Amino acid sequence: MASPAQQLPPGWAAEWDANNQRYLFIETATGHTQWEAPAPQGYVENAPSDTPPAAQHPAKRRQYAAGQTQAYYGGGESSLDPGYLAGTAAQQGGAQLFTPGLVGENQFATQQTQAGPGPGQAPYYAPAEPEYINAPAYGQQPVAPYGQPVDNLANQFGAMGIAGQKQFQLYTANLLTSPPDPRELQHPPPEIRLPPNSSVSPSPTANADPSYQRSTLNAIPTTSSLLAKAKVPLALVLTPYRSLKEGDESVPVITDTVIARCRRCRTYINPYVQFIDGGNRWRCCMCNMTNEVPQLFDWDQARNQPGDRWARDELNHSVVEYVAPTEYMVRPPQPAVYIFLIDVSNPAVQSGMVATATRTIKENLERIPDEDGRTKVAIVCFDVSLYFFSLPQGTTESSMLVVSDIDDVFLPKPNDLLVNLAEARESLEILLDKIGTMFQDNSIIGSALGPALQAGFKLMSPIGGKIVVLSSSLPSAGAGALKNREDPKALGTSKESGLLQAAVPFYKTFAIECSRAQVSVDMFLFSGAYQDVATLACLPHYTSGQTYYYPAFNAGRAEDAIKFAHEFGVVLAMPIMLEAVMRVRASRGLRMSSFHGNFFVRSTDLLAMPAVPQDQSYAIEIQIEENINTPFVVFQTAVLHTTCYGERRIRVVTQALPTTSNLSEVFASADQVAIATFFANKAVERSLTHKLEDSRDFIQKSLVDILLAYKTSMTSGGAGASAQLAISENLKMLPVLVLGLLKNVGIRQSAQIPPDIRAYSQALLTSLPSQLLIPYLYPNFYSLHNMPAEAGTIGEKGVILPPPLPLTSERLERHGLYLIEDGQTMFLWVGRDAVPQLVMDVFDLPNYESLRGGKITLRLLGNPFSERVTAIVQKIRESRRGPYYPHLYLVKEDGEPPLRLWALSALVQDRADVLPSYQQFISTLKEKVNGASGGGY
Amino acid sequence: MVYPRKVIMFSDLESDYINPIDLCNKLNQFVLPEYGAHAFLALLFLLWGQWTALLWNVPLLAYNANKVIKNNHMYDATEIFRTLSGHQKETYFKLAFYLLSFFYYLYRMIVALVAENP
Repeated sequence: MASPAQQLPPGWAAEWDANNQRYLFIETATGHTQWEAPAPQGYVENAPSDTPPAAQHPAKRRQYAAGQTQAYYGGGESSLDPGYLAGTAAQQGGAQLFTPGLVGENQFATQQTQAGPGPGQAPYYAPAEPEYINAPAYGQQPVAPYGQPVDNLANQFGAMGIAGQKQFQLYTANLLTSPPDPRELQHPPPEIRLPPNSSVSPSPTANADPSYQRSTLNAIPTTSSLLAKAKVPLALVLTPYRSLKEGDESVPVITDTVIARCRRCRTYINPYVQFIDGGNRWRCCMCNMTNEVPQLFDWDQARNQPGDRWARDELNHSVVEYVAPTEYMVRPPQPAVYIFLIDVSNPAVQSGMVATATRTIKENLERIPDEDGRTKVAIVCFDVSLYFFSLPQGTTESSMLVVSDIDDVFLPKPNDLLVNLAEARESLEILLDKIGTMFQDNSIIGSALGPALQAGFKLMSPIGGKIVVLSSSLPSAGAGALKNREDPKALGTSKESGLLQAAVPFYKTFAIECSRAQVSVDMFLFSGAYQDVATLACLPHYTSGQTYYYPAFNAGRAEDAIKFAHEFGVVLAMPIMLEAVMRVRASRGLRMSSFHGNFFVRSTDLLAMPAVPQDQSYAIEIQIEENINTPFVVFQTAVLHTTCYGERRIRVVTQALPTTSNLSEVFASADQVAIATFFANKAVERSLTHKLEDSRDFIQKSLVDILLAYKTSMTSGGAGASAQLAISENLKMLPVLVLGLLKNVGIRQSAQIPPDIRAYSQALLTSLPSQLLIPYLYPNFYSLHNMPAEAGTIGEKGVILPPPLPLTSERLERHGLYLIEDGQTMFLWVGRDAVPQLVMDVFDLPNYESLRGGKITLRLLGNPFSERVTAIVQKIRESRRGPYYPHLYLVKEDGEPPLRLWALSALVQDRADVLPSYQQFISTLKEKVNGASGGGY
Repeated sequence: MVYPRKVIMFSDLESDYINPIDLCNKLNQFVLPEYGAHAFLALLFLLWGQWTALLWNVPLLAYNANKVIKNNHMYDATEIFRTLSGHQKETYFKLAFYLLSFFYYLYRMIVALVAENP
């Protein structure tokens, strides 16, 4: 490494510290020491956030952590090309928003940013703006030492490449002077820097991709006291069953009969084990146990010849699937079973739900996973009685059997109710056509949902599977009947959290029964009136299902019908995992202490999931029980499941993380996205066990604790009051994400949010994977009327999106057209002075006055602007995982207040009602941090 | 007595010898009978004017009543792992409380017997 002494400002000395393997910087005059290199006085660092990448690197959307370093170092020259240098130089001379740590308190920069939309915002409108969504490698190195002069950068990279394990460098940002930049959320988490040779495979896929599993800290503290000092929560956020979009690498399947596992801790063999004794034994990376390598490990069974061990998938990939032998089965693999419980009471029929649902089922019968022809289906309708349909074999005739005794549910017929999908396809189609007309004039109001669930359960309990409930009204008859407990006076008070808890124990106890019988429940709820989503959502929550809520569904509106049909279709076509159990193992000293997500905790660390849908996220808190003395630790998630085409498999996700005894590395390796995801889970849990207010306080306090810990231990200011609010560069977006969480419908302080909407939002907060959750907390905001020329056209990575704007209404111009989207809803905001031509181009209407707010469908009109806008909307709907198909609302600047306020509530950096703006929030945080440390104010 | 058994069952759950559903089903059978017996005993103390004993029992009586009113007296299998440490503490406390009470009642009984037959 080039000696840092050469680049020090006068009055500083650098000393090599052998214990920590890094330079210690000493200010000779005062004797003050610090780890960070001091910046020359008056010299201003340039932040990655505020500067557009001047050079276009080959755009790589997501690089794997290990590969990323290689790509970066390998391409060391490319990052130093003239364009880059020129860009950097220009930036240094130009507008700066970022003050360098706390080294020199740069008042100049402070004033500049507080003066409102400063020059730093100019790049958003720069015509030659590169595309940020597909941000090139430049911005992807979140901990790269930007503060160093550029020529040292190269030396340092070279030296670090040789030195092996790299130190995380900590860069302090001042929250008061660096406004949040939405582009930073697109950055990958801090790189995982494992010690050299920790993996037996050089493969870049040897460590799990963050979309499968990510940790809040990418360097695990060695002691619990160090973790407690940092105050950053330690948790895993995982989505083991992630859907594969186009271009994603598929999960390798290992068909060998050999499954090498540790004898003691049952860890599956993975790239982080060590082979010893000439390769005859392997040492477990978690418990250090020595195990025999199975004899067939070096044998290629497919070709029946000696194989290459190092080419084996389980040693090269972090995510693999084993085909499980019979030891892993308690019974032969079950077929997939789907039971549809359709509400046919009057409100359901009137809203068009029944017709849309039956049509969607009929259209998607083909897509229901049924590769081995064993899938079974049953349809049960209910109002205050139950209607079974018998579909005898060999005929396409079906007969309806009515059971009106709902107190003691029985099946009217032992067979022909649950039929094989492939065999009874035709009669099912005819039946589905008939159901709509059959109940057309049903005037019965009321719903016996509980008995219907019991009936469905009876039908499938010997096998297990999925119950899909479609319900439009509050359950009112039989077991599980609920009362309308919506009380507008309780909203916004401490009693509100009671409305978010289950009203009756039926749904919890039934959920446990279901979990035992491997039955999972999906809820599709449609009511316009109170439906007690909080209680009904219990069922999917404990049986690893999912709740979908379409408030005031009306199939008469094409948008409603399309949204529901799309989402329902995706759910039906989803290849689910059946009869699954999940367990996360970790290296010695680490313990999984609590679990958040949709499953039932069957023993201390075993999660039971009767049917795992794709793209469901779980969060697991980790405790450090004893000191860790290994250079790295391993987390391994194993999901034993039956695929929906009858194969028992084990999906194993392995992730290795380095350990550290250095507090600054703990901060520098923290992953703000994972922390925000974890906080969302924690906030919901807290709002149920305590109160909504407690949950908000808890989240805010957790954030203050992190800031305080950072301030006391990482900045020169120490415990005293400080004019700055410091946090490491990689956690810069955490405050705004927390603010987004505090303002989310599920948590927000408000007396106007119906409990159903809140409960649904809470269900989303605990089950969305980070990719969907982050926009849900911090929506994307695009300006369409003045988007760059290439936005909306097809680029290298599909449709190019315009650059995202910060979420403040300052950005709303009166003549503009904006798009705000949070993954669940999209708003097209039209300013009141929108020119008729723009309205004409996008909506095919003569002027602003003729526009009507509400749900809309964009039609493709024969002009380039309309094509681009439609393409962007389409791209946003398709770009994320999960079945969600957001509604598009047209919002007029002077339109109906509820819709306008709803759209504006997505702009989380603004002040709304009692909720603080970002600036206010930050200054409250600062006061708390300064106040708590005794500095006073 | 139920309590030593309860303590053992909780530690069984921790070490995975019993599943939470069975545990809760077994323990829930005893919750209301126990509260009932305790309330009955307190009633007897009240009727017989055993003020010291009554005073000693009132806090627990109130605690139990509060739980029943809030409807969280039953063990919930879905929450059991999160609340396990709390349940364990409560169980130890109640065990100690009943043991102390037992010896106190025994002492009072002996005193009463001695007083009757001098």
